[in-house]
Amino acid sequence: MTDAELVVRTRAGDPDAFGTLVARHYDACWRFAYHMLGERADAEDVVQDSFLRAYLAIGRYDERDQFRGWLFRILTNQCRNFLTSRGRRTKRFVQDEIAIESAAAPPAAHASGMEDAAVVRALAQLDPLQREALLLKYAEELEYSEMSAMTGAGESALKMRVKRGSERLRALLADAKDRGV
Amino acid sequence: MAADDLTFPRPDDLDDVHATFIASQLRASYDATPAHDATHVARVSRAVLAAAMHAPSGDLAATPRSRGVRPRWWWGAAAAALFMTVLTRPWRPDVAQRHADSALTSSASDSMGPTNEPIVSGRTSEEEGGTVRFEFTLPATARAVSLVGDFNGWDAGVTPMVRDRSGRTWSARIPLEPGRHEYAFVVDGQRWVVDPLAPQVPDAGFGPTNAVVVDIEGTP
Repeated sequence: MTDAELVVRTRAGDPDAFGTLVARHYDACWRFAYHMLGERADAEDVVQDSFLRAYLAIGRYDERDQFRGWLFRILTNQCRNFLTSRGRRTKRFVQDEIAIESAAAPPAAHASGMEDAAVVRALAQLDPLQREALLLKYAEELEYSEMSAMTGAGESALKMRVKRGSERLRALLADAKDRGV
Repeated sequence: MAADDLTFPRPDDLDDVHATFIASQLRASYDATPAHDATHVARVSRAVLAAAMHAPSGDLAATPRSRGVRPRWWWGAAAAALFMTVLTRPWRPDVAQRHADSALTSSASDSMGPTNEPIVSGRTSEEEGGTVRFEFTLPATARAVSLVGDFNGWDAGVTPMVRDRSGRTWSARIPLEPGRHEYAFVVDGQRWVVDPLAPQVPDAGFGPTNAVVVDIEGTP
């Protein structure tokens, strides 16, 4: 059954259809949110909130769009909102980057699955807009036109974000490799 | 390092020279990120549906959540019913009776003249020799007014009232036995009217009526 058919059944009040949509897209959303936010619990909260918003707004979904693209538009907005509010919460603390970099073990927040912790940690040091553009471009493999429709930014601005984010991420990864972290 | 050799990119020269490397790194990290099991995903799905039940608003039609909220017309109907209930106060028969009488008199005065004139009013006074004088003032002229009551068998032809010089006040004198009597006025032989300011008694079969008490202390 296609996503569009599941959306129609969800609108008709079928909870199982919505459950199938969640099962189909949960992991993709979760990986994006985890790489955007760098913390598992935050990513799970944001993904669940994004599905809730999608469910409440499913009447506005246009069947001509890809459901995954529509869902990711909600997800990227939720990630931005979360980062903004987390930025407000942590602003009072001193960010000691040297202490973090020289710590014997990686910070607990960025720990521990089988994923590449160095990549997640390096992504966390990028500007959020650059991080978002890099993930949408290279991990989600979207075209710039799709990214522009999703984020509301112009294609030139997105290309600039990807380019600068890519340079910075490469430098951070090389630096981490040199230090053996 | 290649990144250090790059000049500031122009808008038409935004190709990412590290695209392949960065893409491979990100894809590898994505692929290595462990997936959630079906139990967790099902729990998230249930949590979303449960939260949606209590969401304040949304566009989804015909869902359990929207069935739980009363539609707007319901609140309008409830407000109208509350207003009417407070206005008529059916739990107090005396007030409800008074409202009904007022409605009767106002509709009578509407049909007889402009509404900004004083409403109908009656007056009774006891005179010498066991006679009671009834006065009845109308906001407009009438052809004939008569007094009816339990003392004349509620017959509009028995006790016609006399018009004074103003043409609006009608009076009649009749001897009454001491006690309590119910009465009303009949305008033009067809319209029964009570004085809204006088003591009133419940409908005894002849429509709403007033009551008058004649010398009840003097009765043996």
